Amino acid sequence: MASDIPGTKEAREVLKKNKIVIAGVGETDQGKIPDRSSFHFLSQASKLAIEDAGIKKSDVDGLVTAFSLVEHTFMHCTTFADYFGMKPKFFSSVAIGGATAVWMAAEAAMAIASGQAEVVLCVRGDNTLSGISSSGMLALIREMCHGEFEFPYGLTTPGGYALAAQRYLHDYGATREQLAAVAVTMRKHAALKENAMNKDPLTIEDVISSRIIAEPLTKYDCSIISDGGAAFIVTTEDKAKELGIENGLAYLLGMGQGYSHQYMTTLENLDQIYNAINRSGQKAFQTAGLGVSDVDLAYLYDCFTITVLLELEGLGFVPKGEGGSFALEGRMEIGKDLPVNTHGGLLSQAHLGAMHHVVEATLQLRGDAGPRQVGDAEVAIVHGNGGIVSAHSTILLGKEPIS
Amino acid sequence: MAEEKTYNKPLPDFRPETKPYWEGAKNHALVLPRSKETGKFFFYPRAMSPGEDMSENIEWVKASGKGKVWTYAIHHMGPSKAYKGDPPYVVALIELAEGVKMMSNVIDVDPHDVFVGMDVEVVYDDVTDEVTLPKFKPAK
Repeated sequence: MASDIPGTKEAREVLKKNKIVIAGVGETDQGKIPDRSSFHFLSQASKLAIEDAGIKKSDVDGLVTAFSLVEHTFMHCTTFADYFGMKPKFFSSVAIGGATAVWMAAEAAMAIASGQAEVVLCVRGDNTLSGISSSGMLALIREMCHGEFEFPYGLTTPGGYALAAQRYLHDYGATREQLAAVAVTMRKHAALKENAMNKDPLTIEDVISSRIIAEPLTKYDCSIISDGGAAFIVTTEDKAKELGIENGLAYLLGMGQGYSHQYMTTLENLDQIYNAINRSGQKAFQTAGLGVSDVDLAYLYDCFTITVLLELEGLGFVPKGEGGSFALEGRMEIGKDLPVNTHGGLLSQAHLGAMHHVVEATLQLRGDAGPRQVGDAEVAIVHGNGGIVSAHSTILLGKEPIS
Repeated sequence: MAEEKTYNKPLPDFRPETKPYWEGAKNHALVLPRSKETGKFFFYPRAMSPGEDMSENIEWVKASGKGKVWTYAIHHMGPSKAYKGDPPYVVALIELAEGVKMMSNVIDVDPHDVFVGMDVEVVYDDVTDEVTLPKFKPAK
């Protein structure tokens, strides 16, 4: 394990004292749902999470939202507070792309630990599939790359990830089949998730022979676009008891961030990405006093197949370059070495950043994951990445509080 | 009569501080920013050196135009309808001889003949009367 990272001891004390928990979760339908707006999904997901916790809307005194790709507002959290009809004591919008959902939990925890709120609703939802215009989609692609020095060359978002994938294949002699195996595992898991969009069986051959998007990536290496919402409620163990919450609680054991680059142009090498992932993970691990061998379940950001391999390796579950064979051997499947994204992930369930990753980790630790339940799951890691593998955030969740 | 050029693809979002770069390109020269304090090149161009020096004392140096493909992605779909007919095209990160990377297209080559480590050299694509995009082709 790396030497002590400054701040982890203090963070551990804060989490130990406050016993921050996720006490309720909610997911709406996911898919192509053209008759619901972004704020409608946010409202539904919020209601579901509040009902799941068995509390009243008025018990919620904090709000963390993200952003919308459809309805642009620079005060997203308060715009939603107004729509939903609440007057939170604490409100914040997190906007770090795919690292957002994971960091919403951390943001809520920090707000609670500093006395800003006691019960924080974290919610994200969007009608990305139905609501985004072609100009909106172009604007999104433009935002993912440098508008002056990258976008004029016709870079797409999958293209950005293909740049990382191509270099990964080159540096580690990884194979196309290994990348494809990630998509195959996600699809197997999605078949067990009630609201997953894509459940049909998928083979490695299917992935490789699907429509080429940006070589080396094909259609099934790319995540889906969806409409939907998801929410979770962060509070403390004490407050959960006071409110009579009967759900199992998922305890926050650690959190961390790691930054590599914003634009691929400024990426020096793949190690820069690995180091950012590792920093993010190690901060969470050291805070929790845990290591990779303690993790029963991993929720890794799978916007493209390549990111799962980089995260498996960067977090230290397998050595660099060995994520592909780990995937190809089926070791990320439920029942195997390290079940990854037991809900099907962004590749097969739905795409709402890592919201569903956080929700699924919580359900698993509660023992409420139905046909996907991994027995004896005690510790889960959730890792989000925003930009093109550029901004990272990690949380560790446990069935028991930090000891 | 000269053929009228229509170029519908996105043009760079110019910032004031990058003017020397685009003026250089228009004159078919690849010029790179370098901090006068540290002597270090950086890319993409910014008003301030991204190093510890935080220097605004920047000089623009004509680059060799030589580089190697660091990685590449063969695009079979462009970002918009304006790219219709272009795919497959290569978007690559080029590691320039000066040590910095820049994104560009590798042209004048079958996309499947591009490889990591390929030697390339700059060429200039005058996409409009005002804008020239530096691109790369296999080095002779």
